[in-house]
Amino acid sequence: MSENIYAVNPVEKDIEADTEERELANRIFSVESDDGLKPINAAENAEIWLNDGHGTDDLDGIDDDLETVNIGNFFHRVDSDQIIYQTKKKRLKLIGKYVMGDLLGEGAYGKVKEMLDSETLCRRAVKIFKEKKLRRIPNGEQNVQKEISLLRKLSHKNVIHLIDEFRDPEKQKLYLILEFCVGSLQGLLDSAPGKKLPAQQAHVYFGQLLDGLEYLHGARVVHKDIKPGNLLLTMEQVLKISDFGVAESIDFFAKDDTCYIGQGSPAFQPPEIANGADSFPGFKVDIWSCGVTLYNIMTGKYPFEGDNIYRLFENIGRGDFEIPDDIQDPLRDLLLGMLRKDPLERFSLQQIRQHPWLTRKPPPSEYTVRIPPLKNDELHNMTVLPYLIDHYYGPGTCYDEDGNVTYEEPEYFTERELNAAEESRKQLAEQFNGSSQANRSSNSKRGKKKRPISCMTVRTLPMCKPS
Amino acid sequence: MINYNININDYKVVSPLSQCFEGKAAVYLAQHVPSGSMIALKKFNMDAIREDSYLVDVEIILTRQLHHPNILQYFISFVQGPEVWVISPLMAYGSCKDLLSQHFNDGLPEQAIIIILRDLLEALNYVHKKGFIHRAIRASHILISPLGKACLSGFRYSCPIIVNGKWQKTIHSFPSSTKPNLNWLSPELLEQNLVGYNEKSDIYSVGMVICELANGSEPFAGMSKTLMLTEKVRGCIPQLLDCTTIPREEGDDFSGGDCDISPKIVNRRFSDDLHKIAEICLNQESYYRPTAEQLLADSIFKTIKKSMPLPDLLKPALPLSDKVAYNTDDLEELKSLNNFSSLEIYSCEWDF
Repeated sequence: MSENIYAVNPVEKDIEADTEERELANRIFSVESDDGLKPINAAENAEIWLNDGHGTDDLDGIDDDLETVNIGNFFHRVDSDQIIYQTKKKRLKLIGKYVMGDLLGEGAYGKVKEMLDSETLCRRAVKIFKEKKLRRIPNGEQNVQKEISLLRKLSHKNVIHLIDEFRDPEKQKLYLILEFCVGSLQGLLDSAPGKKLPAQQAHVYFGQLLDGLEYLHGARVVHKDIKPGNLLLTMEQVLKISDFGVAESIDFFAKDDTCYIGQGSPAFQPPEIANGADSFPGFKVDIWSCGVTLYNIMTGKYPFEGDNIYRLFENIGRGDFEIPDDIQDPLRDLLLGMLRKDPLERFSLQQIRQHPWLTRKPPPSEYTVRIPPLKNDELHNMTVLPYLIDHYYGPGTCYDEDGNVTYEEPEYFTERELNAAEESRKQLAEQFNGSSQANRSSNSKRGKKKRPISCMTVRTLPMCKPS
Repeated sequence: MINYNININDYKVVSPLSQCFEGKAAVYLAQHVPSGSMIALKKFNMDAIREDSYLVDVEIILTRQLHHPNILQYFISFVQGPEVWVISPLMAYGSCKDLLSQHFNDGLPEQAIIIILRDLLEALNYVHKKGFIHRAIRASHILISPLGKACLSGFRYSCPIIVNGKWQKTIHSFPSSTKPNLNWLSPELLEQNLVGYNEKSDIYSVGMVICELANGSEPFAGMSKTLMLTEKVRGCIPQLLDCTTIPREEGDDFSGGDCDISPKIVNRRFSDDLHKIAEICLNQESYYRPTAEQLLADSIFKTIKKSMPLPDLLKPALPLSDKVAYNTDDLEELKSLNNFSSLEIYSCEWDF
């Protein structure tokens, strides 16, 4: 995620510059997922765009424009007060009875956004598949169909629940309405000190993972892609196994759980798949990935690593790994049991259940890792609300953190306006600093203190001229 | 004490009283044949309820655990074919919602509201201390006994505060199939963010019920749910409608206004105390809302001693009297009447 700042310096020939600038200036970015302000164009002699990575679609078109202008000559650092902002438009979008909210995550297949059921007012998540994109992915459409048919029949507290599904033939999009989750175990780990969880917390989540997995295996479903990123958490701290994109349903008449295809994430694959076995017991694949997951959340490390997938699979295939010394029995024994190279010797779910680490209560820990904020919102407020507020109370109505409504009258701020009201300009600059700071910090690590970002640093170099 | 048995022949359905659970359950006036007493028989149609059947579980199990004079008692419950039958005492005045829709379209008299409110708070204080959040406090869940005692019901939407043996400071679960109760729910419950909610959420609903009883319908009624949500989140606090809260139009011409508020509402006046109670209950910040116990200490409830009993205050509404059905002639009469007016659902409308 980077913030690209383009600055176009004044061109000698006034007329030419004017036309070129118009062309650029009229382009208004709609940067999704940002609740704050965003600059649209700069003052007469400079233009700045900010892009947070989500608006790549919009950028595609820009490249052409920039090609006509010789970028090299125009790069130029700009004072922060020359940035002009536009308040983000929150246009209400309805899909069926659901009101669309902001982006929650993105995958190869499409996006995951928040939604609000306008009838029950229950928060939901929607997985949006672009059929065009799906066709490009090998087995893409089949996998999605498989995922849907699996999700439809599954119903367990620790398995993500499919609420609704529909297709928009015009947009060629497929919508899966799912339970709303505030974050994933991976997100939790990323924000945790040492990228690991305290024993008590890990114990609770792992217990729930086992509950969910026991149900899945009972329903003859092999998930094949158990990893912290696919284990979601609800507001109530309930773990939900999600992403059944590569899951396999064992045939009703199959005599055992033999599988032939392994498609999960490499670091979580068992030795039999890494070694390229033709067939392997399916349920034990999930046990292995659970073992890697437990190893990961307890140590912050992976049992097997490699610079590339070949090295990684080589290491996994050998099956040798080390457990840090601070991991003592019974956890050590449990990890060794779950990460046994031979799938037949590997622990079964029942053995794990009866293992002392699970039956005994872990020592209380000093802290619990909290769900990291989404775009600087610690509380994970409904992202649909600003859209609704804009819809009901008109544009320019903003909703701040305290629940107060603030009116921001002008949609665009030109430099002239800014000069006229220097005070408000300063506030805006700070606000901008704050909001882009938010994007950064939420995407990197939580709790980082403000540090100057590119556009603020140029303040120290106001005399910077193009060479 | 009458002993109620699991025997369908002991219960003779007399007439339907009302529908509940979005039409998936029906309440009947019935007679307990061995004792001759009249009871209410609630039939849950499990085929219609389908995946929400656990709500029936929750309701019956929890209601059977609770024992309080202001909480509707379930004598017994059993499965009968595709239905679950629940036997409870007959609440002769029906629910507060029935009273509003049949006799008090513009709202109940203040003294009646105060009496009902006290009973409601007594029940709620008990429920909260037992470790449950009701989550569906509304007029239709408050029933009035023949003696004028208000009883709380509708426990199927409730949730425990104690999870895994621990008293939770905050709850995050969003009640499923809570559609009919949305207007009464607190902003923090509806927001569904990491702040969560606690039993003070019920106190907000109490505030909504005060408005409902006073105004004749709940605030935000008829409004789209999403608008109701934004209004609540933005801090819109509903009010009791009377001469102090409705701005008077020029020349006091009520007919010319764009809204058709009856002059009765515009000219009446609720006491400042009632306004105040509604306001503190509806405080945006749950922290500033008093607990049920604190509310019960309010001086407004001292007026109850001097006031008329609730049945007198509720006139012209009359209780569905036990007497009517005691002799079989009346019962037959009631039955035939019932056949004549099959469209009539609320038998309490008849003036016996």
